[in-house]
Amino acid sequence: MYKYDAIDRALVDERVEEFRDQVSRRLSGELSEDQFKPLRLMNGVYLQLHAYMLRVAIPYGVLSAKQLRALADIARRYDRGYGHFTTRQNIQFNWPSLIDIPEILERLADVEMHAIQTSGNCIRNTTMDPFAGAAADEVEDPRPWCELIRQWSTLHPEFTYLPRKFKIAVTGAPSDRAAIRAHDIGLRVVRNDEGETGFEVFAGGGLGRTPRIGVKLTDFVDGRDLLAYLTSILRVYNLAGRRDNLYKARIKILVESMGADAFRDEVEATFAQLRGGVHLTPREEIDRIRSFFPPPLAPANDVAEGSAPSRPGFNRWLLRNVAAHKVNGLASAIISLKPIGGSPGDATADQMDAVAALAEKYAGGEIRVTKEQNLVLPHVPRGYLPKLYDALFDIGLATPNAGEATDIVSCPGLDYCNLANARSIPVAQAISHRLSADGLSDQAGDLTIKISGCINACGHHHIADIGLLGVDKRGEEHYQLTLGGSGTEDAAIGQIVGPGLSGENVPEAVARVVAAYLELRISASEKFSQTLRRTGSEPFKEAVYAH
Amino acid sequence: MRISAIAHEAPTIDEVETDPDADAVAVDGGEDPARLEALAGRMNRIVIRFPTFKDGRGFSLAARLREHAGYEGELQAAGDILPDQARHLIRVGFDAAAPDELTPAWERAATRPVRVYQPTGVDARSAAAERAQAGRARKVASLNVLFKDASPEEVLRHALADKSLGRIAALSSFGVESAVLLHLIAEIDANAPVLFLETGRHFPQTLQYKDALIERLALTNVIDLAPTPAELARHDAGGDLWRRDPDKCCDIRKVRPLSEQLRGLDALITGRKRVHGAERAQLERFELVDGVIRVNPLAEWSYEEIEEHARLHELPQHPLREMGYLSVGCWTCTEPAKTRDDPRSGRWSGSEKTECGIHGKPPEPELETSLS
Ligand code: SF4
Ligand code: SF4
Repeated sequence: MYKYDAIDRALVDERVEEFRDQVSRRLSGELSEDQFKPLRLMNGVYLQLHAYMLRVAIPYGVLSAKQLRALADIARRYDRGYGHFTTRQNIQFNWPSLIDIPEILERLADVEMHAIQTSGNCIRNTTMDPFAGAAADEVEDPRPWCELIRQWSTLHPEFTYLPRKFKIAVTGAPSDRAAIRAHDIGLRVVRNDEGETGFEVFAGGGLGRTPRIGVKLTDFVDGRDLLAYLTSILRVYNLAGRRDNLYKARIKILVESMGADAFRDEVEATFAQLRGGVHLTPREEIDRIRSFFPPPLAPANDVAEGSAPSRPGFNRWLLRNVAAHKVNGLASAIISLKPIGGSPGDATADQMDAVAALAEKYAGGEIRVTKEQNLVLPHVPRGYLPKLYDALFDIGLATPNAGEATDIVSCPGLDYCNLANARSIPVAQAISHRLSADGLSDQAGDLTIKISGCINACGHHHIADIGLLGVDKRGEEHYQLTLGGSGTEDAAIGQIVGPGLSGENVPEAVARVVAAYLELRISASEKFSQTLRRTGSEPFKEAVYAH
Repeated sequence: MRISAIAHEAPTIDEVETDPDADAVAVDGGEDPARLEALAGRMNRIVIRFPTFKDGRGFSLAARLREHAGYEGELQAAGDILPDQARHLIRVGFDAAAPDELTPAWERAATRPVRVYQPTGVDARSAAAERAQAGRARKVASLNVLFKDASPEEVLRHALADKSLGRIAALSSFGVESAVLLHLIAEIDANAPVLFLETGRHFPQTLQYKDALIERLALTNVIDLAPTPAELARHDAGGDLWRRDPDKCCDIRKVRPLSEQLRGLDALITGRKRVHGAERAQLERFELVDGVIRVNPLAEWSYEEIEEHARLHELPQHPLREMGYLSVGCWTCTEPAKTRDDPRSGRWSGSEKTECGIHGKPPEPELETSLS
């Protein structure tokens, strides 16, 4: 993992000090809430329905055991004993008091974390493939590049007052587990014929009110020129992006209104000016950052043997929650934060502590946070899997449902968020109960369900097989059902199939969609999206509405 | 950054476009960058107004003016800007600000030192550059220990044959002492790039000698670096800059063309020696200048050693040597040396100037710099 040096450390410390001063000016009344607002937002502090909310960046979703423990400590000390992992690979604390926040930020700084740029119209935390450095199909570990982007985008002088927020996603593998084409900029690591590392670049993707799939800008930009290229895209966007309408301000609207070709031409013209100049990353810096991410080692022989699990259900968990690793003898284990009927993405302080301990004991001390709101131990020797399973089972974190229908992604919704039209969490809980009750989730296998409480689409409902969007229908909470979205290589936006549903009808409607899929699919290996493409949405529509 | 309560009065861009004498303009951050850049060349002052602090277009407009259009005049930010934005304004190229609300916080903000991660068009400092610099400084220190007693050949073999310093070239003036270094280089790699600063002011004898050495040593990759005609036209249209301002003359004829080339290099071999005295008396075999490793294989050689080597290998002599020139530069600025002990005494004689600037000064590693 990356380790701060004196420069990183000083940058974060300066921010903590600055914010401490701003908070005390706010508490003494020297600053009005209006004046304080842009300042607190730059430090990840939101005002929610009930209280201030603090959003902490988990840099590209990578945590050390020590950092996870610090998060547990904060949850226990300053919040109500739990934290909420978000679809943006961040963690949110819903109940801190303002006066404590500088102290929380200081504790975060002690473990090399911060809340800088987790809100506001700036470049946000980078999304990354949670299996980076472990995935069997990887061209190159993208973590060093994400760290390079983290540093470049932090307190960027030119891009801190953009038309709208801005998100970058990076994958190091041909299969896309970072939804790169659903981000403002999507990067895929590639190698050219000379073996040099570079990037295939997409721009103009995004969810929200006007979901769009990103368009390709270039097949290859040299890794050392990456920051010049990103600067070029952002510069064009910052100057030309709309600022008169909040809902038309994202880069996707600009790309669409200019046309992909014209937008690309502008970016290339800017890049021609910047390339090779000060924005060129020194080779040494790339090597230096890379040195923090050595490839994982194959486990020792005595570990390879393993022991028998003593808790039930191991094989099912192995099948669902364990992914292949590029190193022989290692595996990646997904820790589902979706117990049946639970609140998606929540983890208690005790669970965080326990996962930190398990990561240290069995997995080299590293943890990843996924955009599906789960955790991953990326490098577990296969021989440790039974013991790991037993331990997870005992703390209620062994739900064997990774990637299936009950692994529901959900935003906080009306229970916390003041932008929400409808609740998300209770709906997720009800669906989860319904689908697990008669084994529908099990039978369906891989299937994604995502719920957003409003059109901001924090729950990524557009890119789910089954998406649910909370809408306000004459003061009542309703849910719009979409089918056929995807956030992977075959990225697609889900389509609305019929009128909105009231909350109590949602679980049954979703169950019918799943049942229809089970009936329609040719074999167990035909995915939901394939079935839908083959049959069209009619039979599903009928299943939902013809009752 | 200069802070003032009232923004400069300046005409609008419409007015400026029809007034060829105007040298100042005030625009909104949303102005078409191409339109503004088209007239930036004749402006001495540009005011960019921020309608609200959230509208960040002015940042990119400023960055484009500085970085794309090379605008060097005053750039003032005006309007609804916050002291918390001062650091950003400065780093994209503003050197003046006139906020709507001028609070005491502004003065603090505009002078407060800040640490930065990323370089900008006007401020090349960055965490990466700083770290790379520190890493290279460590490398240079260890090379000096490692090659403490090594011969020039060993130093050159390390640099050229092993390519262990990265992309490298040699710099030669094809002057009276140049033959030895070029000979040593040619023995190892006659294809190594050799840079020659073509100032357009060389003695004809130097150019003849250059051709002769290239032939004798079979050098295949000698590269002439010259100032662009546009630069010359802009700064030295009369051709007398060397007399008026020799530092500026060396800057456009030598320093800039070389630093342009150095962007693509990790290391540069030079023929400098301690016996040249003055700034060079403490010269190390390896040093770090502006982030580029300088390799000075002959740093510790005496004149006797140089001459011995030249005799032994029957290397041709610079034609001016017989006439008492011990160090040769541009004909405008070179006389025969005053004494044998100070061979460079004939350079820029009658002025304080002793170096042209291409060998810089090794910068102090810095963690923190004030932006003001
Ligand atoms: S999708 Fe809407 S309701 Fe849900 S968290 Fe985002 S803004 Fe809030
Ligand atoms: S040596 Fe003289 S003529 Fe040559 S570049 Fe310098 S000042 Fe100009």
